[in-house]
Amino acid sequence: MARAYGPRLALDDVRLALEPGELTFLVGPSGAGKTTLLKLINREIRPTKGEVWVDGIPAHALKASRVAELRRRVGVVFQDYKLLPRLTALENVAFGLQVSDLRISDAEAIDRSLDALDAVGIGDRGAAFPHQLSGGQLQRVAVARAMVTQPPVLIADEPTGNLDMETAWQVMDLLEDVAASGTTVLVATHNVEIVTRLQRRILTLVQGRLVRDQPAGAIGSMAWLASS
Amino acid sequence: MAGVVVKGRFPRRQTMRVVATNIVRHLFYSAARNWIRNLGSIAPALGSMALLLLMSGIVGLSGFALYNLEQVEAGQASLLHVYIRDNASTTDVNALWDRLAQDRRVASVDFITRAEALVRAQRIPGLPQLADASESNPFPASLDVQVKNINDVAAIDTLARTDIAVDPVYPTSYDKGAYQRIQAVVFGVAVAGFTLLGLLAFVAVTVTINSVRAAIHSRRDEVTIMQLVGAPRWMVRGPFVVEGAITGALAGLVAGLVTFGLTMAGISAGSGTFTQFAPGVTVTVAAIAAAIVFAIGVGLGSGSSVVSLRRHLES
Repeated sequence: MARAYGPRLALDDVRLALEPGELTFLVGPSGAGKTTLLKLINREIRPTKGEVWVDGIPAHALKASRVAELRRRVGVVFQDYKLLPRLTALENVAFGLQVSDLRISDAEAIDRSLDALDAVGIGDRGAAFPHQLSGGQLQRVAVARAMVTQPPVLIADEPTGNLDMETAWQVMDLLEDVAASGTTVLVATHNVEIVTRLQRRILTLVQGRLVRDQPAGAIGSMAWLASS
Repeated sequence: MAGVVVKGRFPRRQTMRVVATNIVRHLFYSAARNWIRNLGSIAPALGSMALLLLMSGIVGLSGFALYNLEQVEAGQASLLHVYIRDNASTTDVNALWDRLAQDRRVASVDFITRAEALVRAQRIPGLPQLADASESNPFPASLDVQVKNINDVAAIDTLARTDIAVDPVYPTSYDKGAYQRIQAVVFGVAVAGFTLLGLLAFVAVTVTINSVRAAIHSRRDEVTIMQLVGAPRWMVRGPFVVEGAITGALAGLVAGLVTFGLTMAGISAGSGTFTQFAPGVTVTVAAIAAAIVFAIGVGLGSGSSVVSLRRHLES
């Protein structure tokens, strides 16, 4: 697919497929098109040319009225967490659950949200408000919210960007667990250490082009760092 | 190492009760809570809408009264009084009566005696004193000719005024152009009223749109998160529309009550005078006007929100 912003091509002739249960890193210098690719998957934008299929749904051709249907299949984790400050950690997770499915009762939403918080290791912090949590805890809540609806796809845009290295590893452990449960996970990151050590599949974008698709376990260069 | 996300199937209660509860919470409870929270930014919209709706109610009732007044005037203008000469013979009067009654443009002809004319005059404000001041009855007998079409009154007047039975000094009640003058005044008032309403509507809609935009802006994070987690569009937009409807309903309620109260005050202050100046405006009409004002308020508030959402929210 391709995506242009006016005369500038943000993504140019990018072809890729992500498999269920696969954790993939998306790397490249700033402005390479990483966020654009994530936005295309979540149908925040449409491709200028080509097709984007998410869990069998044609995101490229989706009408605005059906976008919500696609987004329920895509969990999103942001660098800045995007949690609602007036809700507790538990309510933030439950909020994401209930607005995506009206058939979920309060009791069920609380149960499932507690389970999700337990799964990310902060089950005891459910009553805390975002301003009472550390960066790592906030990101765990964000991951819990993204995963509580059990989406087949999870995308994360610089999920460790605001975290110290130790916390960043904890969050990456979480995302590995999520992938191990069968979810397709795509992580856009600048963190070379994490990408190098985990040895997962790496997609390298430079100036909107997919210049390298390195399979898991392979060791490749990080030439894009020179231009970042 | 954190715990493992269990990807099991959670039980789901697919009951209508849960769905209804969630809809009420997400649409109405959320809207009411946010409305109270944003009252400061909503207040200008509320005030301008209440003012607009009050003006609408007053202009609407005035228009209704003017319409009735015009109808009364039209009825009176198509009723031609042909005044009979004092010493006219019965034969001449009967001949004129027959001639007028047989005319296809005439609906009916009634003979009003001098005594009946006096009784009728005494019901008109100011005329009883005039009648009492004179020792004899100053009012002539007449043939009251009801013309079918108001445009034919002039022709019937021409036909009757030269008749031998008719008073040569003051033959008929025909006042050329009187009805047209009333129509012109009513039309002018209507144009001025609609222009004023149009301007007020523009101001109210603009202020409401801006207040909804401010509400969207203050809750942009919440809106963004709702959209990103897959909330359907109606759930994202619905609370804003309900908030607009609450604003409109409250403004409509205030304006409706004031409209009704003013009308009631007018009626109780002087029912005779009020009926004369605002014919047809009764307690029932005032209540209906208040209800319409309320309904317009709800429509205006929610409609303005929809317009604002289309402009300021991602589709």
